[in-house]
Amino acid sequence: MKKTFIILGFATALISVVLAVTPLSNLAIFPIIIAVICGLILFYISKKEASKIKTIQYIFLLVIIALSLTIYKSIVNTQEIGDIEQLEQREEENLEDSKELLEDIEIDENL
Amino acid sequence: MKYLLLSFTILINFSILSQNNSIAAGERLIFNASYNISGILTDIAQVKMETSEVRTSKNVLLRLKCTATTFKKWDNFFKIRDLYESYVSPKTLTPYLYKRDISEGGYYKFMQYKYNHKQNIIQSLKKKKRKDGSIWDENKSIKIGPSSKDLIATLYHIRNLDIHKASPGDQQDFKIIFDNKEQTISLKYLGKETISTNIGSKSCYKLSVSIKGTDVLKGKNDNLLWLTADQNKIPVYAKFKIPVGNGELKIISASGLKYN
Repeated sequence: MKKTFIILGFATALISVVLAVTPLSNLAIFPIIIAVICGLILFYISKKEASKIKTIQYIFLLVIIALSLTIYKSIVNTQEIGDIEQLEQREEENLEDSKELLEDIEIDENL
Repeated sequence: MKYLLLSFTILINFSILSQNNSIAAGERLIFNASYNISGILTDIAQVKMETSEVRTSKNVLLRLKCTATTFKKWDNFFKIRDLYESYVSPKTLTPYLYKRDISEGGYYKFMQYKYNHKQNIIQSLKKKKRKDGSIWDENKSIKIGPSSKDLIATLYHIRNLDIHKASPGDQQDFKIIFDNKEQTISLKYLGKETISTNIGSKSCYKLSVSIKGTDVLKGKNDNLLWLTADQNKIPVYAKFKIPVGNGELKIISASGLKYN
């Protein structure tokens, strides 16, 4: 039982850190919650058994790192669009080409 | 005489209905597109809808341009740089040229339709990238219905409808041409709703969109569009459900509107 929570807690804490680093940082919140729950259960077990489980510290440390990164990214990250130079160039080329194609058309206002 | 009068009334109504009353050159609408990833809506791209005047030696046309650009953080995963444009008559919004120039994560496609309204045909040009990077093209002449339009022209045409005259439950079908195929879009007016947006609280016309004969849009009344219930009828919010998930389109800013 204790081992299951240690493995689950440690694995989810690691996943949360990995997710927090990627653009999918919003999704890190799910493994963070699971890791915190596992950490708290392990803490309760260790108190009950009067034994020390070192993994709890690692789980909480990873959770703190993941949570800090997620919060930081959600506050600081602005919705910035990337390089659009190529798109603007395509827009310009298409406009010039369209003007040529539209040169011979006759607009019928009754349509 | 009765029939002559009836025909005259229909003609007048038709000409009034087909006049552009909502869209002006210089309009700029910016949206945030978000996609549902594991239950969390994540902003993935910026969508812009712009209008501008285009002059040729004989005519003045309205250029309806829509672009979609992924946010910087997504560019390494899936870079989207899409351009859709339609050149329409500024008075009637009748399309004369349509272009779709899309670049999505290494996939490139170009589609062009040149309309011939007298013969009800479009000259279609398709360009695609081969695996080795070279581009091949395909020219086709396609017969279309008299009221068929491309996607962008249809979108702006919907804004030009007299929705205030419609009653909840009213439905209208539109023929659109997409990927050289004619498809029917069904638009249902669901009623008025006031929603909170980035440009303030707006009273809106709530519309349900569906495409007949395909499963591109999933669900019943799951694809919704909110247009402001004023003369501009700008799209402020949209919800869509596609086979690979669902998402939203929210307005960020609107400028250059015809009516202030």
